[in-house]
Amino acid sequence: MATVAPSPSPLPSGERVRVRGGFPVEAAVQPRVRLEVTLRRVLGPDYRMGFLFVAPIVVLVLALVAYPFCYAVYLSMTRKYVGMAPVWVGFENYVRLTYDGFFQRAAINSFIFTFASVGIKLVLGMGMALVLTSKIRFRSFWTGVLLIPWVAPTVVSALNFLWIFDYSLGVLNYLLVNVFGVLNRGVGWLSEPNTAMSSVIGVNVWRGFPFFGISFLAGMKAIPGELYEAAAVDGATVAQRFRYVTIPGIRNIMMIVILLSTIWTFNDFAIIYILTKGGPGGATMVLPVLTYEIAFGAQRLGEAIAVALYMLPPLAFVIIVLSNYMRKGRIR
Amino acid sequence: MIVRKGRSTVQIERTQSAVSYAILVTFLLLVIFPFYWMIVTSFKGETQMRSLVSMFWPSPFATENYEHLLGKTEFVSWYKNSIIVSVSSTLLATAIGTLGAYAMARLKFLGRAFMASTVLITYLVPPSILFIPLYAQIRNLGLSDSLTGLIAAYPSFTVPFVTWLLMGYFESIPVELEESAMIDGATRFGAFRRVILPLAAPGLLASGLYAFTQAWNEFLYALVFITNVKLRTLPVGLSTFITGDVYGWGYLMAGAVLTTLPVIAAYIYLQKYMVEGLTAGSVKG
Amino acid sequence: MDTRLKHLAEQLDAGLIARREFLRKAAVITGGTAAGLHALRGMAPAQAKTKLRVWLFKSFVTAGNDVLAKQVETWAKDKNVDVEMDWATFGDREQKFVAAIEAGNPPDLAEMNIWGPLRYKAALRDVSKMAGEVAKSKGGLLPFAERAMKSDGKFLGVARYSMTTVFFIRKDIMEAKGLKVPKVYDPDVVEFAKKAQDPAKDLYGFGQTLNRSDDGDGFMDNILWDYGGGVWDKDGKPALGTAFLKQNTAALQFAVDTIKKHGIQPPGVMGWTDVSNNESYMAGKLVTTNNGASLYFAMVSKKHELAPKTLCVLTPGGPAGSFVGSSCYNWAVFQKSQRAELAEDLILYLEDEKRFNEYLQVSVGQAGPVYKGRVDNPYWKSDPNFDAMLQNILRCVNLGHPGPMTTAAAEVRGQKILTDMAGRVVVGGLSAEAALKEAHARVEEVYKIRGKA
Repeated sequence: MATVAPSPSPLPSGERVRVRGGFPVEAAVQPRVRLEVTLRRVLGPDYRMGFLFVAPIVVLVLALVAYPFCYAVYLSMTRKYVGMAPVWVGFENYVRLTYDGFFQRAAINSFIFTFASVGIKLVLGMGMALVLTSKIRFRSFWTGVLLIPWVAPTVVSALNFLWIFDYSLGVLNYLLVNVFGVLNRGVGWLSEPNTAMSSVIGVNVWRGFPFFGISFLAGMKAIPGELYEAAAVDGATVAQRFRYVTIPGIRNIMMIVILLSTIWTFNDFAIIYILTKGGPGGATMVLPVLTYEIAFGAQRLGEAIAVALYMLPPLAFVIIVLSNYMRKGRIR
Repeated sequence: MIVRKGRSTVQIERTQSAVSYAILVTFLLLVIFPFYWMIVTSFKGETQMRSLVSMFWPSPFATENYEHLLGKTEFVSWYKNSIIVSVSSTLLATAIGTLGAYAMARLKFLGRAFMASTVLITYLVPPSILFIPLYAQIRNLGLSDSLTGLIAAYPSFTVPFVTWLLMGYFESIPVELEESAMIDGATRFGAFRRVILPLAAPGLLASGLYAFTQAWNEFLYALVFITNVKLRTLPVGLSTFITGDVYGWGYLMAGAVLTTLPVIAAYIYLQKYMVEGLTAGSVKG
Repeated sequence: MDTRLKHLAEQLDAGLIARREFLRKAAVITGGTAAGLHALRGMAPAQAKTKLRVWLFKSFVTAGNDVLAKQVETWAKDKNVDVEMDWATFGDREQKFVAAIEAGNPPDLAEMNIWGPLRYKAALRDVSKMAGEVAKSKGGLLPFAERAMKSDGKFLGVARYSMTTVFFIRKDIMEAKGLKVPKVYDPDVVEFAKKAQDPAKDLYGFGQTLNRSDDGDGFMDNILWDYGGGVWDKDGKPALGTAFLKQNTAALQFAVDTIKKHGIQPPGVMGWTDVSNNESYMAGKLVTTNNGASLYFAMVSKKHELAPKTLCVLTPGGPAGSFVGSSCYNWAVFQKSQRAELAEDLILYLEDEKRFNEYLQVSVGQAGPVYKGRVDNPYWKSDPNFDAMLQNILRCVNLGHPGPMTTAAAEVRGQKILTDMAGRVVVGGLSAEAALKEAHARVEEVYKIRGKA
């Protein structure tokens, strides 16, 4: 905390008052100064600049996120049909959903989809990062190319895969049957329940693993080389170096990426909607698609929002806990 | 003392290299193949697409999809709109995020810890329902059916990540740098502007790239907030090639290629900064 | 002050200044005073060109869209009105409507499908007077159209055309194997398919998905009716798993059997979306399929080689007859519109026989008649395949049959309860009866919430 040269004295008595970073020598001076001092004590020494700088974010979040969100929460406790006024029903929507078979199945599917996808993305991302930090040439090029899935518009990628997975005209079956001769006949990738879930997980993984990869890559680059050398000198194997140097070094970024990806994957709508619309027979129905169907198919907005918000509290809890945990561990 | 590598070390390194390259090539195939498929499909004529003839190469090589796209549709204006919205919202989001991140990383004021912990919480709200009340909000502000509405709305899902990223980045810059600047007579803001910002350039670039990508690819808000056909953005424009059960695959893929290529090119060129930007924690200078 | 404001308004109309600048300058001129603002407001409708927001249905028949657009523009120029047209199609239509209605910002006029008036009832304007006039001038509404457009005795939409489904058959294969056009699903279609198909060559006899899709939903509705069943009884009460349980079980079982027992459907059919059967048929992999006019249009407009080899016939039936669900595209005006009279004028203009014929001529069978006077239009004789479309339209029944068409029926369809049910049998392993009972519970719930409205 810098102590700057005392300001030119505003006081008739010529006393100097230190007002930067410290408390004034004489607290019993003019009221204006006392007010400033109190403000600083209560609001923090940098409050002016701080509030100014965060004002845009606060305004943005309040206007475009908080307010619509509160309205959505309110709507979830009403019976609301399109064009008609909402009717307050309290928690009825949530209660009804808890016992609804379709909701339960969708919730289970959501969890399966999310955990499987995130898990595989974690492994692939780690692999990508490890490979990109090893001894290879044209590293820049490889890194850039491997980012392609994450950069392409999701809607476009999903449509592309819809075409690739097509049973009769799709290239995947063509490869497996005609080119590699691995199967006798094609697989209904999006029409059999087991393969449908795996297929949509596959597309989500394809799309998302580069984010893991590049984040881990960044984290690994930040680990000082000396740590590895020290470990090598101590006789650690490659695997041990990975476990005891790499993993702890990227622990923070790993947690953040897993957290963000879990939320984003849980809320992912486009991929499943475009590929299967939740079918076949509800095998890939997840909560976001169910929300959509209830909102625009059944036109029951209150219930739709309840579906979407149902999982919010536990997810929020996890975020806050993890966030605090990580903040405490941050370098100051 | 010069240490010579033993034979076994060289062998291990070679194996490691080979394994790396093998894995890389596998990744490459998985990543590139759908994209290659997109490109090939875009050059296939109508008849070829309905058959399995010459699966992997257009025969005949048809440019009709691109000609139709560029000549007979509003593709060019979609492109223009997308650029306007993406660039503007990126600048806006990066500016807002930078200021907020710096405040939360460096300044001491009431509520800072709370804000820092909850910055990512906005991602919990699924856009698939948020857009209905959000649209009403945008309309109340008089911004519906305008590109400005999108430019205002997009930061709502890019600013949190940008802020978080830059927070980490700012925290990794040693406090001493600012303090020495201020001892030299700079104000807090001056130190921020002249010392911190240039150092944070990779972080800013990474955030900018992220925000741009999200804006460029965004579909739902663009679909709902805008009804004027002249103001459509690329994703919405491309979706018009789907009418119920008739998919214009050729046009779709051609449009997809033209939409994705520039962004990919930018990433290949700038990915170095992206990685650097994501790296928080290395001491500079 | 008035002249200055007038001048500004003219500049705004001519696009010389942006709206924001107009507001700024106007604020300066009026001094922000109440009187000034009042004067400004009073001038607005008189000076600015009236604006009409119209949402049109983007059909797969692109030529038709162009014709419609041009007609609207001609009308707009005539009336010196500024028309803002937006197009929505199957996939994104609902989102736009819901978001717009909820935000209090719906268009003035919208082209909707048959369920539009029911679903958005609360936001639509009563157009009975005009609808009645239009119907009278065209010989009256066909019964299914009248039932669809009317709700509580009021007309919420002005019927335009009906887009129906037909049964597509590969004529060349049929003739090669010496087969006859099937009239009922069981056993005709099954036998036909078995004899005509060649799975070794990837050619299957019948392509009908039961997946969540328009194709699937439409088929499920039809097949239940074909067996004398249905979702609702004649009073509009749920009957899926109760009163019609026996018939529905037979119908559902048949549908499932086409996939699991008879082997006449291609594998992967449960993963089909609405596009898939079109593409399969055009790729020469199906002998028969149910689809709307879009398939025919796609082949004819692209001069596909299978177009001349395709025969469109009446949709086959079951023990209780042959039923086809109705479709009725219509015009609806929103209550919030300030220019309802203008919107109605546009409707009259577009539905005028001259204009409608223009549209009809390029529609490739998509624009089926909803008025008695349009049934005899020579267009329907210009292609032998159109006859099946026409006949299907004339005998179609509404959702909710044998009961009235209700909001509950629209919602059951909107939630895809029937295809979900079929999925539970084909994929989930439930018995037909169990699936029916499960689906019935959902229908009961919808009925309880939506009532008989």
